[in-house]
Amino acid sequence: MTSAGTVEPGSTPEGLVLTQVSKAFGGVTAVKDASFSVMLGQIHGLIGPNGAGKSTVIGLVTGFLRPDSGDIRFGAHDLNRMTPEAIAQVGIARTFQKATPLVGLTALENILVGMHTRYHGGVLAALVRTSALRREERGMAERAQMILERFGLADDANTDAGDLPFGKLRFLEIARSMVLEPQLLLLDEPAAGLNRVEAARLSALIQGIRSTGTGVLIVDHDVPFVFGVCEQVTVMNLGQILASDHAAKIYENPAVREAYLGTQRAQTEAGA
Amino acid sequence: MAFLLCGTVAVAVLVGGSPYWMYNMTVVALFATAAIGLNIMLGYAGQISFTQSAFMAVGGYGSAILGTKLAVDPWLAMIFSAVLAAIGALLIGIPLLRLRGHYFGMASFALALGTPSFLLAAASLTNGPLGIAGVPPLRFAGVSFLDPIPIYLLAWGVCIGAFLVEISLLKSHVGRAWRAISTNQDVARSLGIDARKYKLLTLAIAAVMASLAGSLYVEFQQYVAPDIFDIGLIMTIYLIVYAGGRGSIAGPLVGAVFYIVVPQLIGSLEQFQHLVFSALLIAIIVLRPNGIMGRGRQYAPVERILPLWVQRRLRRDYD
Repeated sequence: MTSAGTVEPGSTPEGLVLTQVSKAFGGVTAVKDASFSVMLGQIHGLIGPNGAGKSTVIGLVTGFLRPDSGDIRFGAHDLNRMTPEAIAQVGIARTFQKATPLVGLTALENILVGMHTRYHGGVLAALVRTSALRREERGMAERAQMILERFGLADDANTDAGDLPFGKLRFLEIARSMVLEPQLLLLDEPAAGLNRVEAARLSALIQGIRSTGTGVLIVDHDVPFVFGVCEQVTVMNLGQILASDHAAKIYENPAVREAYLGTQRAQTEAGA
Repeated sequence: MAFLLCGTVAVAVLVGGSPYWMYNMTVVALFATAAIGLNIMLGYAGQISFTQSAFMAVGGYGSAILGTKLAVDPWLAMIFSAVLAAIGALLIGIPLLRLRGHYFGMASFALALGTPSFLLAAASLTNGPLGIAGVPPLRFAGVSFLDPIPIYLLAWGVCIGAFLVEISLLKSHVGRAWRAISTNQDVARSLGIDARKYKLLTLAIAAVMASLAGSLYVEFQQYVAPDIFDIGLIMTIYLIVYAGGRGSIAGPLVGAVFYIVVPQLIGSLEQFQHLVFSALLIAIIVLRPNGIMGRGRQYAPVERILPLWVQRRLRRDYD
């Protein structure tokens, strides 16, 4: 459909493009004919009630799930057949809905695991501990410490990640995926369980990530949080895309109001 | 600490010159070498793998067959067997590691179960149940490694080499990748770590260590038979790693000392020996669930080894 020249990396304006993607689990449709795209350098929200298929979309994009049909592309890369590690290496990082500390590793080591693909030294270099590798190791540790500082975790560098309080862990998880220097960052319910102060810090952090040119896809059902930070919003319900547009237009979309926002507004009015 | 203690004991045995203890400590070194391999797979990369006894058989039979039937130099036979074991580990690992967790464990357990049967069945190569006798011993510059002191030094040299491999890899990004895969494979993969490649690596490293231990044992005993590599062998290596402390560097060494030396020390108890050894093992499991050198630093209260009704009565006395 497109000429060969337009699929070079960097030349396509859109980052992630889903076309007619479907996924069923044993007869239960989780995602049906989903099409939407996420531009780089934008904050994109994916909202919908529980069970709408949002997390399935993240699983499909990051290679942990395989689509039954449809096409998922990222720049010049066809993600349909790629493994999760290969997808991470072409510039898509993710966080998980559940808390995912690498227990038994310190906060600093968690960051260093995120830097794994940046190492030049291989197994043999590690085996004989070449001076080049030791130098690299020192440089990585310094950078990891700087990143912890930027995320407000400097004092926790030597704490086991499993002992960190939930709020700090969330920031550690985002820091760990950001050291991959991704072009696109997928956040699975990042605001869940955070207090107001932490959620505000998270918003600021996400805006900072966007300003470096990285695209961000936030999956959440916290509507105020998503509309507070996202420029573009996609709404899912029962595995289908209801709408995908500018945040302001989504807010006005009658179908979305009826299916999702409307009920929420009715509830707040009833409560007031 | 544990290393210092073991080092002191090792030197003391050498100076003391008792051939009996020197033999026992040689066996400790060989078991520890194979156990270090399992510790890397199980303790750090988190894979329940039963492959070690099969790869010890590759080393043992590789050395025996190459030495007797093809008259290959024993040193070369040992190295060649280790290379063969590494290749075998990759060939077995590529299909088996499509399975995860317990499923991989069960598949590799089949390998351990099948090893003695295979050795019995391949009689044209292995002489079946008779085994292979007259395996040429290792020699170097007029020194025969049948003598207690040279084999003692060689076995400990190999064991220390295995420790150095383990320690240097663990300190590096490779070790961190293993530990990340072990705690959460999905997170590791989402960070671009090729989990299957790193698991295969542990399998190959462990296979080389097991093969070297098997070769040294057979070249020292000058004899090999299928029943050495039966299911009991892999259970022993598991016992060593669990009792010593999986995921701790000194664990395999401490476990091997426990398994080999303790029964010798309580040998005078004769028929009660096994009973006392089992009781000690249960005490370790109850008091140090992660092994003697295990990561859980906290010691459980000693009264936990008592029966529950006694514990309850004790607690009532405190109230």
